[in-house]
Amino acid sequence: MSLKRHPAQWPWHGLLVLILLGLAIGLWVATKRVNYEWRWERVPQYFAYRAEAPQDTPISGQVSAIAPEGRSHRLVITPEGSGPPVTVTVEQAQVAVGATVAENDTVGVNFEWRVGPLTQGLWVTIWISFVSGFVGLVIGLITGLCRISKNPALRGLAVLYIELIRGTPLLVQIFIFYFFIGTVLNLDRIVAGIGALALFVGAYTAEIIRAGIQSIPKGQSEAARSLGMSAAETMIHIVLPQAFKRVLPPLAGQFISLIKDSSLVSVIAITDLTKSGREIITASFATFEIWFTVAILYLLVTSVLSQLLFWLERRFARSD
Amino acid sequence: MIKVTHLIKIFEGRGQVVRAVDDVSTQVAKGEVVVIIGPSGSGKSTFLRCLNGLEEFNDGQVVIDGIDLTESKTNLNAVRREVGMVFQHFNLFPHKTVLENVTLAQRVVRKRKPAEAAERAMKLLTKVGIAEKAQEYPSRLSGGQQQRVAIARALAMDPKVMLFDEPTSALDPEMVGEVLDVMKQLAREGMTMAVVTHEMGFAREVADRVMFMDAGRILEDAPPAQFFTAPKEPRAQTFLKQVL
Repeated sequence: MSLKRHPAQWPWHGLLVLILLGLAIGLWVATKRVNYEWRWERVPQYFAYRAEAPQDTPISGQVSAIAPEGRSHRLVITPEGSGPPVTVTVEQAQVAVGATVAENDTVGVNFEWRVGPLTQGLWVTIWISFVSGFVGLVIGLITGLCRISKNPALRGLAVLYIELIRGTPLLVQIFIFYFFIGTVLNLDRIVAGIGALALFVGAYTAEIIRAGIQSIPKGQSEAARSLGMSAAETMIHIVLPQAFKRVLPPLAGQFISLIKDSSLVSVIAITDLTKSGREIITASFATFEIWFTVAILYLLVTSVLSQLLFWLERRFARSD
Repeated sequence: MIKVTHLIKIFEGRGQVVRAVDDVSTQVAKGEVVVIIGPSGSGKSTFLRCLNGLEEFNDGQVVIDGIDLTESKTNLNAVRREVGMVFQHFNLFPHKTVLENVTLAQRVVRKRKPAEAAERAMKLLTKVGIAEKAQEYPSRLSGGQQQRVAIARALAMDPKVMLFDEPTSALDPEMVGEVLDVMKQLAREGMTMAVVTHEMGFAREVADRVMFMDAGRILEDAPPAQFFTAPKEPRAQTFLKQVL
């Protein structure tokens, strides 16, 4: 008999499935009770849709022939006076043979794929998060280094900045940044939004980086200094690379939070994913569907980022 | 090569004042091997760390190869590249391979070309008998191997003096020999060395002088033959009785 005993796992797996099933049924019953009519078929058009592009005739004259050509039609327009006939190719003709058309009249339409508001909003969310994350990382690195500096002025400024940002709500910071700083410096709303997010994430990143630097044993910098490296060289070659590796998991959490927090910039009329969702709902009344879709899109972006950082973490683990 | 006069280092904290190095004056000539022994807390490691300015001291003078560490215009980094140091806990850079550990400071500090640095590194890794591990990370190496890499790393800077701070204290007993062998070879080649150690055998065999430290002072400074057979100080006598 071995000392280790393994109790059967399958009852617990069964219980898990049962609980999930129960939740799903509960959700279904709940929507039944409020008489909500699901219209999921309305959602895809907000990702991408085929738009009509009207096609005009460049001259006045008469439509003399309509010939099919693949999936479109060739309209031949003969001018009233003298001159060569002109052909216009459209996917759907809106005039008949023999009709008289004036210059710039619409004779038919072509269809083309357009990016819908959900995709546009998603893109805005992604790039705003990316830019503010990058700027925030730079701010955080500089502030983190100031925070552990021996210079009281640098240290004091870093502490003040971190405490100010961590002690006030992000929503309020965005308003202040947009209405006060934005007005004083005449900033675009996008710049104000990115600035507020970058300052916010920078303060948290600074503390993470400070902790990372302080977690590297003193012997490491002593070894580097004993080889004749300057303080800066030691920081760049020895301490920061090791610290960065250690703080990657908390940093990942911070950046995932940033993507979610970026939804708050919708309050200063930046059309990110959240604001796109709100706008679509006023047009479509598909409230439940759109909010669920928006949530899933956020989830998608954050899980891709989290996988990416996980992969990075494993790469760094090579030297362990 | 090393000249120390009236060196004083005081640690202050929690209302306690410890005179870790208490008015030490001594000299180490070029090519000389000096072994510093003494009970723990006697200030021998602190004394060693003052020699390359890793520890700031309160008073006194340390002159390395004619350069005074205390003078304000002295570039400490420039002095340190001439003084190699080996630590009790190796302190290899864990995120760099063995080869990178040995080449990094050569490139950054000595501004050597990568190929030149690598060549020098391989030569030294061969010398300490660990060339086949050049591409490994330090975590894959045993303690003895790590310490030999640390010695190669210090030697790569072509130092004029080597300081050893209890280089074998953190090693398994079976690995002590391989590190001591490398140090003995260095001593034979005429390297100026200051070694803090508890290895009495090494002191007896290799040292030109043995210094006995207690409570921050050098109590006895004598050739090993004289020190181990007829120590003058009663404190040194009791110490030797306990360790031998």
